[in-house]
Amino acid sequence: MIAFVRLLARNRLALAGGIVLSLVILLVLLTPILPLADPDVTDTANRFKPPFSQGALLGTDHLGRDLLSRLLWGTQLSLAVGFAAAIIAATVGAAIGIVAGFYGGRTDNIIMRGVDMLMAFPYILLALAIVAALGPGLFNALIAVAAVNVPFFARNIRGVTVGIAHKEFVDAARLAGMSNTRIILTEVLPNVIPVIIIAMSTTIGWMILETAGLSFLGLGSQPPQADLGSMLGEARSALISNPHTSIVPGVMILIIVMSINLLGDGVRDALDPRLKSGALSRPMAATLVRRAGTPPPPAGRGLLEVRELQTQFHVKDRVYRAVGGVSLHVEKGECLGIIGESGSGKSVTALSVMGLVASPPGVITGGAVRYDGTDLIGAPYRQLRDMRGRNVAYIFQDPLATLHPLYRVGDQLVEAIRSHRPIGKEEGRAKAIELLAAVRIPNPEKRISDYPHEMSGGMRQRVGIAMALANDPDIIIADEPTTALDVTVQAQILALLDDLRRSRGLAIVFITHDFGVVAQLCDRVAVMYAGRIVEEGHTREILETPRHPYTTRLMACVPELGEGKRRLEAIAGLPPVVDKLPAGCAFAERCLKVQEVCRQGDIPLEGTGGRAVRCLFPEAPISEAAE
Amino acid sequence: MTGYILKRVLSAIPVLLGITVIVFLIMAMIPGDPATAILGSYATPENVEKLNRDLGLDKPLVQQYFIWLGNMLTGDFGTSFALNRPVIDEVLERFNATLILAGTAFVLCSLLGVAAGVISAANQYGWADKGITFVVLLGISIPSFFLGMMMILLFAVNLRWFPVSGMWPIYGDRDLGALISHLTLPAIALAVVATGVIARLARSAMLEVLRQDFIRTARAKGVAERGVIWRHALKAAMVSIIPVLGIQAGFVLSGAVYIEIVFQWPGVGRMLVDAILKRDILLVQGGVVFVAACYVLFNIAVDVAQSLLDPRIKT
Repeated sequence: MIAFVRLLARNRLALAGGIVLSLVILLVLLTPILPLADPDVTDTANRFKPPFSQGALLGTDHLGRDLLSRLLWGTQLSLAVGFAAAIIAATVGAAIGIVAGFYGGRTDNIIMRGVDMLMAFPYILLALAIVAALGPGLFNALIAVAAVNVPFFARNIRGVTVGIAHKEFVDAARLAGMSNTRIILTEVLPNVIPVIIIAMSTTIGWMILETAGLSFLGLGSQPPQADLGSMLGEARSALISNPHTSIVPGVMILIIVMSINLLGDGVRDALDPRLKSGALSRPMAATLVRRAGTPPPPAGRGLLEVRELQTQFHVKDRVYRAVGGVSLHVEKGECLGIIGESGSGKSVTALSVMGLVASPPGVITGGAVRYDGTDLIGAPYRQLRDMRGRNVAYIFQDPLATLHPLYRVGDQLVEAIRSHRPIGKEEGRAKAIELLAAVRIPNPEKRISDYPHEMSGGMRQRVGIAMALANDPDIIIADEPTTALDVTVQAQILALLDDLRRSRGLAIVFITHDFGVVAQLCDRVAVMYAGRIVEEGHTREILETPRHPYTTRLMACVPELGEGKRRLEAIAGLPPVVDKLPAGCAFAERCLKVQEVCRQGDIPLEGTGGRAVRCLFPEAPISEAAE
Repeated sequence: MTGYILKRVLSAIPVLLGITVIVFLIMAMIPGDPATAILGSYATPENVEKLNRDLGLDKPLVQQYFIWLGNMLTGDFGTSFALNRPVIDEVLERFNATLILAGTAFVLCSLLGVAAGVISAANQYGWADKGITFVVLLGISIPSFFLGMMMILLFAVNLRWFPVSGMWPIYGDRDLGALISHLTLPAIALAVVATGVIARLARSAMLEVLRQDFIRTARAKGVAERGVIWRHALKAAMVSIIPVLGIQAGFVLSGAVYIEIVFQWPGVGRMLVDAILKRDILLVQGGVVFVAACYVLFNIAVDVAQSLLDPRIKT
């Protein structure tokens, strides 16, 4: 509760709304003891006195009644009616929703059918029909507004109750022999209360507007009694000659409803956990770059050269160093594997190349990524966009999530081309068919008009590859492209990638957690752990003689074909959280050979001839490998 | 597709029946008998009894309902006693005016609301976002009738850009230009709240979609940011925006009642309020059923639009 209030107070707009609303409520509570004129005493000699005139701070209305007094009494009435309607709607709606959701089956069915019928009405129309039946009057208007809001509450709360009714603690209560009524009151109700509060806080402003509206139409409060709506309704006939009588109650409604809405939004944000972490931030077009100092000079290796790349995630006050100074390079036509557990920073490294790390929260804080000599980090967006897909293309993991669900695959392929050069309709179609044929999709003429959900996982990934090929890039970065596929399809996709690479002279950066895949495809491998490279070298060498204990253990995770009963060895423990990296070796906690010195000071990546390891006690001396 | 539309139309029949039941039950709650209301409190008991018989009010409730329903199906909504005219004629004539007003407002709020939401999301936490968020908050907090009155004061009385009220000029041609100048203020006043609601939803739907993987794919293949936002993200966001457009259509259609009163627009809402105040029950009943039925049919169109947008919906 205290946490909730604190969270609410942190939201400045909600706080402002809360303060304004409290002031209005305070004023309204004090109204009976304030020295005000009687709101209902008419004085036709003093009609339509302007605001700030003697004896009438806000002036007088068409019957010479004091507007300030009428405003305060009217506000009191409007607030009381609005809150009453909200409480009635919430109570009745919650009761209906809980019963429907808790008992389920036919009870649920019948109740929700009725609720759906009510929701099929245009909202205000239903309120009008109810007032028509009950007759005009403030109490009847209150009933009408509450009634039309009941279905909204019923539906929301039913949904939550259904979820709760099947939880273990409810089953436990049932087994303990508690009656249904008691379960509802002690187990279900406390859990739906936040939902009721959110629903109330977002609808109460609306209900105040609605009752004011009915009064405005003459169907709510009847003279001489006046709420804000009927004040406005009565003032309407003098709108042009004496606008102040309209503006005074109108502005008051605006102030009340606006402050309630601000507060309501704050309540919703504070109670809805999804919004707490700021998870709804939209990723920008390119990753934010905040690079201190001068970028490291090029070492002159490879078509794509990553130098001391640092990418971090800034979440509130915490900094996660996802990539902590990674250097890589890939030559023309070469296949480089990057391997590591999830969370090792391999994907973030790959996405940093073309500024595709989601930002916020991602920030590139250091290093350089050079494509053919030009640094891409901090390059203008226009240049980056131009190179995306044309020079460096990506293939992502789950092709169902990474292809647009509502566009035909052919159109998505054509769009990839059109983003870089104008292309006619016919040529585009021909090119799309050609691309699908290149990734060995049967019947490409028909398949181009498929939607992604109409294809199998393997076919979708072929589309993903075709899209990467669309502009004949020099480099393809494949981010676990086969992880979501089953084994036979996986093998086909790998074979396809290998063929394409050889026939087109593509360089591939292949990200995976699977040494089997690396063995099949890659020329060289870099092993990543906790955002850094711990070992690199030619695939064969690493497979034959791994130097880093982590590499050894990672390889032991892969079951080998034909070796029957070998125990599958998982690595005990978890990779360290990258916002609190230990000093020294990040793997020390999980390493079987760890010694005291491993935990002291930074350990460099050392080696020669493209073979290097970041370990004080490598499995075998590095010098052997240099030969 | 035809099969799907047919299926949706068939599934609307129970809803339409439910609506008639609800309206009938609400009207049956009326204390006292309608005959006295129609004839006034000085009517002789004989006359009251005769009228009750004529209106079929001496029969059991269930039978009354089916007679009423059967009559409506043949287009007979009864006769308005206050206007001495068939209810259906009055409703159709008034509904025409409402449709022009609400239709225009609906188009306005859909276009402006979605555009504002998209721009807001695309510039999250930027100045455009803050500005739009503030205006939207103002828009959803201001009563439409008060806004309408202020617009009359400013744009019709002070600036004289638009006529003060009505649908047509009292003298002069009833041409399109005249209609547009009369329509502008009420349509905007009616659209404001719905625009705000749609803009809010469109913003959060866009933010939700912009975090999806396929957006990263679009960026990775080099689609310009404008295309990412307005094609890729908006199309996917429309899947959750369209149902809200359907709901807002109901708000616009029924919220028109305030605007029709403020701007003296000869629509069905104003007719209903007059009928309620005069206790012209048959006119209220007929009007409510007719408008609600139109709204149900409109929602079928919304569902069809949704299925055209999203191929994953089984048609």
